[in-house]
Amino acid sequence: MGQLVVNGLALGSIYALVALGLLMIFNTVQIVNFAQGQLLMLGAFIGISGAVTHELPIATAWAITMAAMALVGIVFMALVYFPLRGRPPFLVILTTIAMGIVLENLALIIWGPLPVSLPSPVRGAPLRFLGVVVSMHQLFTFATLAAILLLQYILLTKTRFGILMQATAQDLHTARLVGIPVSRTIAVAFAFGAMLSGIAGLLVAPIFLAEPTMGGSLGLKGFVVSVIGGFGNLPGAVIGGLFLGLIETFGARYISSNFRDAYAFIVMIGVRVAWPRGLFGENSSAKV
Amino acid sequence: MLFSATTKHLTLQTAILGSLFAHLIASADAAPAACPSPIPLGLTTALTGNLALLGTQARNGAEFAVDEINKNGGIAGKQLALSIEDTGASSTDALNAMNRILEGKPLIIFGSMISPHIFAQTEVVTKSETPFLVGATNAKVTSQGSKWLFRTHAHDGQLADLIPTYLVKSLGKTKPGIMAVADDYGLGASKGIQAALAKLGVSPVAITSYAPSDKDMSAQLLEIKDKGADSLILFGRPADVTLVLKQMSDLGIKLTTIGNSSMVAQTTLNNLSAAEADGGYAIGGQIPQTSKDAKITDWSKRVFDKYKVPADNFTVSYHDTVYLLKDIIEKTGCDKAAIRDALAATKNWQGMLISYTADSLGDLTHTLGIYRNKGKTPELIGPINESGY
Repeated sequence: MGQLVVNGLALGSIYALVALGLLMIFNTVQIVNFAQGQLLMLGAFIGISGAVTHELPIATAWAITMAAMALVGIVFMALVYFPLRGRPPFLVILTTIAMGIVLENLALIIWGPLPVSLPSPVRGAPLRFLGVVVSMHQLFTFATLAAILLLQYILLTKTRFGILMQATAQDLHTARLVGIPVSRTIAVAFAFGAMLSGIAGLLVAPIFLAEPTMGGSLGLKGFVVSVIGGFGNLPGAVIGGLFLGLIETFGARYISSNFRDAYAFIVMIGVRVAWPRGLFGENSSAKV
Repeated sequence: MLFSATTKHLTLQTAILGSLFAHLIASADAAPAACPSPIPLGLTTALTGNLALLGTQARNGAEFAVDEINKNGGIAGKQLALSIEDTGASSTDALNAMNRILEGKPLIIFGSMISPHIFAQTEVVTKSETPFLVGATNAKVTSQGSKWLFRTHAHDGQLADLIPTYLVKSLGKTKPGIMAVADDYGLGASKGIQAALAKLGVSPVAITSYAPSDKDMSAQLLEIKDKGADSLILFGRPADVTLVLKQMSDLGIKLTTIGNSSMVAQTTLNNLSAAEADGGYAIGGQIPQTSKDAKITDWSKRVFDKYKVPADNFTVSYHDTVYLLKDIIEKTGCDKAAIRDALAATKNWQGMLISYTADSLGDLTHTLGIYRNKGKTPELIGPINESGY
């Protein structure tokens, strides 16, 4: 039972990280980026190129990945969001799906179909307590999630940038009229969103291996987590992610492993019926 | 008078033409049918999507053999032209890919190892009356009633029978847990394994599965452990088999594990530590890594240098298939029906690692390999024949 809790929370932490990346972009431009999972995959492969192919120290590989992902986020925005801004949101959403497919095939061409593992930045024997095993990488994942949650909370609620983001999300045209650098704010949001996906990719690759198609399922779970927690809601993304990880793990153990993926969508529908705005409510900026 | 002379002239002409025609027919009986230049071949396989790792092995094996044959002068001086179409991961796309291949009127078509794709394609290929050689592993692929379809790789029916038998009779394990990938490939095998275990009087303590996109199998592993299993039958693809073995090690679960050839695939072993891989058994199509033959070692190296993907049992199978066809075309020429008949009559044709013999269904592979990982190195325990061979 204890082991299931640990493994469920570890899986949920990954889902939560994907959802936090989604949230960053959603809270600025009110668009769901369905290529978030593929950005995660890209982060994992950039990390592998640094740490495995070029044998760089793992900390250097992480730093390069972060910088590369920030750039990827800005390019992504320039290709996907800017040409279609002001058009119906579904057009942008469809374009993010298309971009996800492009990224997947691009990764296949560049890195090939082989699954590859990335070394964990932390080493050491796993902790064992009452028969429950917790690996150092799992502890690192929990700590990273907690740190990102705190930083993102401060960024969104206590800084000038957070206020600019909220203003941009509420009314883009008015924000521009009052002198807010809208394009720069959106670019920073896309860069942060992609960096968060990159971190998720770097955390996933040591335990789940990296392969070009790894992002599809994780991106979809990040979306489910956002719906469960309430779209754009920071605690909702984290609690929703951990909740989904536990549901999947316990469902697979005690009900049936055949329907593991189905649990996510059953829970999502159930939560939406009981709480139409998610467990923690949606970000209010869309409604203002 | 004039009429009579003309008639005589025509009769003589007819006689000469008739004799020439008869001579031509007699020659045609003896000589192989002429081949076009280049000789058109088609291949549909998954080069994109989540089955790309599997699908590229078919492309690598077939294309490498075609390139070798062309470099050595082709078949009777004629080069081979291999057209390749990507099926992606969907059966609908597989059918579309096959229709595009058929437009090129190939002499022979190679299908992939992905059974749902072959089920979707068999009807149109059969209607086109073109020999269709596949590596698809669902046992029922060759039971579709197509006399044009042949399989040159081991199938799940053989594995489902041999794996439980070896586990129970040779390894002495009687409380296995089963874990299989939840798709046509894994679930079909899981059912077969359960049936074979029942025949041996053994009940699995737990029957579990995981979705092809699943990354965390710890819940299934804990269930198998909690229910007191003494062994694990694992049936999946290299990427997910790697994860299962890693997670078993992380959770401290030590069970005798036996599975399909993914257990010993180089792509699996590359991502495992020696401790994680050690002791795993596999039964499946024969792999080139364990061969001591310098020619095969050199071939594996050249394949890897070209494609950056280690050759596996499928690469060997598709490579052998092309060479088998080369031998057949050299004897029969480029007549599709003659090629089909020659394939159906194949007996003890020696491939790279095994020999091929066609049975009444069109299955040509009847010898598999039993392997055990010593650290990260697979070792061939020995070949094993399917029941009745």
